[in-house]
Amino acid sequence: MVIGQAEQRTGERSAAPLAVSTDGLSKRFGDRTVVDNVALAIPAGAVCGFVGPNGAGKTTTIRMLLGLVRPTSGSGTILGGRLSEPASYLNKVGALIESPAFYPQLSGRENLKVLARLGRLPLAAVDPVLERSGLLARAGDRYRSYSLGMKQRLGIAAAMLAGPELLILDEPTNGLDPAGIVEMRSLIRSFAGDGITVLVSSHLISEIEQICDHVVMIRAGRLVHQGPVDALRATQQAEYLIAPEHDADRDRLARLLQEAGCTVLPGEGAGVLLVQEGGLGAADVNRLATQYGITLRQLGERTRSLERAFFALTGSKSADVPDDQELGAIR
Amino acid sequence: MTWAAFTSEWTKLRRPTLFFSTFLGLALAASLFVILVFSQATTHGGIVTLHQLAQPNGLVIGVARAAMLLGVVAFGIAASQVASEYSLGTLRQLLVRQPRRAVLLAGKMLGVITFLVLALCFAAVVALIVAVVAAHSRGVSTSAWFTGTGLGDLFRELGDLALAVVGYSVLGMALGQFVRSAVFAVIIGFAWLIAVENIVVRIVPSTQSWLPGQSILAVASGGGEGVSYGHGLVLGAVYLIAAIAAATLVFLRSDITA
Repeated sequence: MVIGQAEQRTGERSAAPLAVSTDGLSKRFGDRTVVDNVALAIPAGAVCGFVGPNGAGKTTTIRMLLGLVRPTSGSGTILGGRLSEPASYLNKVGALIESPAFYPQLSGRENLKVLARLGRLPLAAVDPVLERSGLLARAGDRYRSYSLGMKQRLGIAAAMLAGPELLILDEPTNGLDPAGIVEMRSLIRSFAGDGITVLVSSHLISEIEQICDHVVMIRAGRLVHQGPVDALRATQQAEYLIAPEHDADRDRLARLLQEAGCTVLPGEGAGVLLVQEGGLGAADVNRLATQYGITLRQLGERTRSLERAFFALTGSKSADVPDDQELGAIR
Repeated sequence: MTWAAFTSEWTKLRRPTLFFSTFLGLALAASLFVILVFSQATTHGGIVTLHQLAQPNGLVIGVARAAMLLGVVAFGIAASQVASEYSLGTLRQLLVRQPRRAVLLAGKMLGVITFLVLALCFAAVVALIVAVVAAHSRGVSTSAWFTGTGLGDLFRELGDLALAVVGYSVLGMALGQFVRSAVFAVIIGFAWLIAVENIVVRIVPSTQSWLPGQSILAVASGGGEGVSYGHGLVLGAVYLIAAIAAATLVFLRSDITA
């Protein structure tokens, strides 16, 4: 029942069943609403990015999905179990919530044994997940001696311990160096190959864009958008970065494009213009310039990014914490 | 399920730093009290007389004197075991693997209690060996210690001490659950048990019969001047049941944001 409703809300009926669906999920701490009426619909098998600025309510939402925080209102279904009964589905869920948290004086292997014993999982499952996360060689070392990247990988190993059908990773690349981020990205992609549904949150939209095929956008506790990444990109109008051969032609070119219905903004670099909207294709722009005797030294379509889509959907220019006015609106 | 939580807790408890520091720390504390008792004993008075030490219960006099210290140490370890799950952030990992919070709490409590009772047993064995050595060095006869009466006194006293350690541990874990900070839990607990209760009793002596620490101490010492053994046992049990109920309720209802 709930799954069907959630599918309707996404505006697109997917053949895949939903791994996660929520209805009217809200959380208030005192008089502050942190999550407001969120209806998630995450298809099974998707690598779903959960995107929003810092303070948007991502971690609180994730904690509600994991039974750590009690929703103020709303309901949901996760892997067929009811959100109000976390024990009915958490045996099929692995999670890394915010920064990895382990016992500093225990080794990586002993830390995983603590969780394996608690979850009544076979201890034989520990070494394979350590190997997959690239930690087997250091598994006997104390956790406190691990680098940040190793700690993060141990967190992933812990999340994989139960052989999950759903993996929830909250800001898994936080604090990692570029090499660590690349490693983490490839690790997450490998989970998708195993048929695991992955929900990965990040405040870095560009990061999500590289690994996810589905996206949920949240801002100030409210759901902004959810659906396939490609579909969202396709909704973005084309933008072009153009530059005339001679800088003296820049203003004339801008005026011609404006008269043709385009919005023209200064681009990055000397003489470069950013052309938005107007319904003109690259060939049209080139033809218009040539017609008025202007030769272009640069004409390229700007990549349609999730970041731009997010800003367009929220009407915001910043991916970070909402300003006071916006926060005030939700208080 | 509680067994799984219990064995999981023991995986943490047996880490060398905690295991050895607890077992050796309690053994050292108990042994120091034994040495103190034997070194201070005289033929005519002091803390205890040499004649008293030669009685069947002489073997456990020193260990019994350490009850308060052993209890306070147990309290601190128990409190920090619970509170550190919040400060380290490990509680969220545990609750993903065991979402039934009452089961998790029960397994943790059983794990910590058995750990501390075993540490007490080890400390008692070491202290008793020290007592035998100290007795020989002071010329105290130990023949009465190993009679039926002496061994009966020994096991009864150890049983009372174990009950007291259980009491202190439960109070410590409950406080750790409320405060969620190992440091604050230990400071508050120590201040209450060592200072506050004693000050209150000095100001209003009649309160001695109703304070939790005094009740448990009465059990540990087999009953005292202010609180009888039976009264301490019943009142202590009431406090422990209330502490477990309150800690469980708080744990079941709280949002885990750490």
